[in-house]
Amino acid sequence: MVETSISLKHKLWNPEARLAYILTLPAVVVLLTFMFYPIGYVLLMAFFKTNKLSRFTGFAGLQNFITEMTDPEFWVITGRSLLWTTLAVFAKTLFGMIIALILNVRYPGRKIARMLFIIPWASAVPISSMLWRWVYHPVYGLLNYTLKATGLWSTPPTWLGYPIPAFTACIWVDIWIGIPFMALVFLAGMQAISEDLYESAYLDGVNWWQKFLFITLPGIRHIVLIATLLSCLWTFNDFNTIYILTMGGPAGATDILITRIYQNAFKWLRFDRAAVMAFVTFVILTVLSIGYARVYFKQERAG
Amino acid sequence: MRWRNRGKIPAVVLTIVLLLFLLFPFFVMISTMLKSSQEVYSTPPTWIPKELHFNNFLIVWSEFQLFIFFRSSIIIAVGATILNTLLTVPAAYAVARLRFVGRKLILYLFLVIQMFSPVIVIISLFKIMVHLNLLDTYLSLIIANTVFTIAFTIWMMNGYFKSIPVEIEEAALIDGCSRVQTITRIMIPIAVPGLVTAMIYTFIYAWNEFLFGLTFIQSRPKMPLVLALYNFVGRWSTQWELLTTAAFLAIIPVLVLFYLIERRLVAGLAGGAVKA
Repeated sequence: MVETSISLKHKLWNPEARLAYILTLPAVVVLLTFMFYPIGYVLLMAFFKTNKLSRFTGFAGLQNFITEMTDPEFWVITGRSLLWTTLAVFAKTLFGMIIALILNVRYPGRKIARMLFIIPWASAVPISSMLWRWVYHPVYGLLNYTLKATGLWSTPPTWLGYPIPAFTACIWVDIWIGIPFMALVFLAGMQAISEDLYESAYLDGVNWWQKFLFITLPGIRHIVLIATLLSCLWTFNDFNTIYILTMGGPAGATDILITRIYQNAFKWLRFDRAAVMAFVTFVILTVLSIGYARVYFKQERAG
Repeated sequence: MRWRNRGKIPAVVLTIVLLLFLLFPFFVMISTMLKSSQEVYSTPPTWIPKELHFNNFLIVWSEFQLFIFFRSSIIIAVGATILNTLLTVPAAYAVARLRFVGRKLILYLFLVIQMFSPVIVIISLFKIMVHLNLLDTYLSLIIANTVFTIAFTIWMMNGYFKSIPVEIEEAALIDGCSRVQTITRIMIPIAVPGLVTAMIYTFIYAWNEFLFGLTFIQSRPKMPLVLALYNFVGRWSTQWELLTTAAFLAIIPVLVLFYLIERRLVAGLAGGAVKA
């Protein structure tokens, strides 16, 4: 008994551990103050009544949750968040895969092509979103002009003015920002696959589709998993695109959880509702993050 | 190696088609920023400016005083980079090299929280900034940007420190270096590429950040560039030639920095699956 307590004390408090505590302390204090405490506070807020100054005015128990969950609007927005994430991540994966496959072919100029493909990821998301707002402009925007002039679409919609076109326009910008990361990660994975495999496949007369299905895809499946998880998190969290393009409009048709939390809090001063939505978002993000962390750790050990 | 040569022509064609498609808004940006105001607002719109107007650059710089917002952005981004580095390096060294209770937990927590949305904490963070009297200060944004980059930079630096052979450090310790000296004289110099990546990452994050600025900053001269441009979208709604010019100027520095770290960034995010 005595021995174990000494060794436990030694384990927690030896010169090496002491140094480690000192070195990590500043970062941990900053994170506790500006990350963990705020998260805890907002989760707590979900169980209280609040006034317009976001002060607690009384304990609400589960009342805020009941109010929120019986409001059909809440389910519409949660559903839209999930639809937004699913569709966008699928499209990013698809486009990313196509671009990675193209860049994996050794043609002259592929280094420059790679640099150009990165631009949507490398530029500031808020600024790109503003540019897209101009691109989508119904009268002076070059998108609709080009669609009409080339005959691709003779009557393009007023993109940001109606619910379905606005949702399409927003999700496209989110997809467009997310494609380069997917392409780069997939490409890195493809380049790690042994060339011998492709060479022997070539000698065996395998066509490109079989090559993709039986060599490339199995070779990058871990990478696809981790990149998709990461992309789910980013996509679900995308605030800038929607807020800048439509502010959730028209009539809330493009609001997802993240943008509605912000508007509930800072536009309508409904802090209790914002807190409940933040609670739900927190749960979803935690599940996704833990999934990502587990896969990441597994690969660290394997890699 | 004939098999390698297959598919070159379709690849080139597809590359050109996809790039024309994906870089569309940047073509629009370049086209618009070189036009006069009258031409921007003529119907039908034009792709190629009838005459090139480079004085949009002069207007955004002198009349709209873009340099004020550049200055704000630089102060915030540099501040966040410095604060982040000061916190990251010691913490990353500790989790990479020292054995202590809670090491695994700390690493795991960092990986999980790096994914949390700032929107979840923005309400509480706003209240904290009010209490600390930091609303409408650069410091509020420096802190917020540091907090939301630190988990990732510690992770990345942890990886770099771990990849340095222990023997180098042990030799230094035997030669009479203290722990702190081995960190400052040996570990940090070797890990410079990782450190630069972490610093550039923080700088870019702070430069591109929008939400915290939108919530914490009220007075115009303190606005970072991205927020200032956003506020101009309303005000300049009839002057897109100026907004695209400003956007161009705001994107370029970040683009250059991004190319320097892009490969290491991808490797850091995808973990052991991708090697830098």
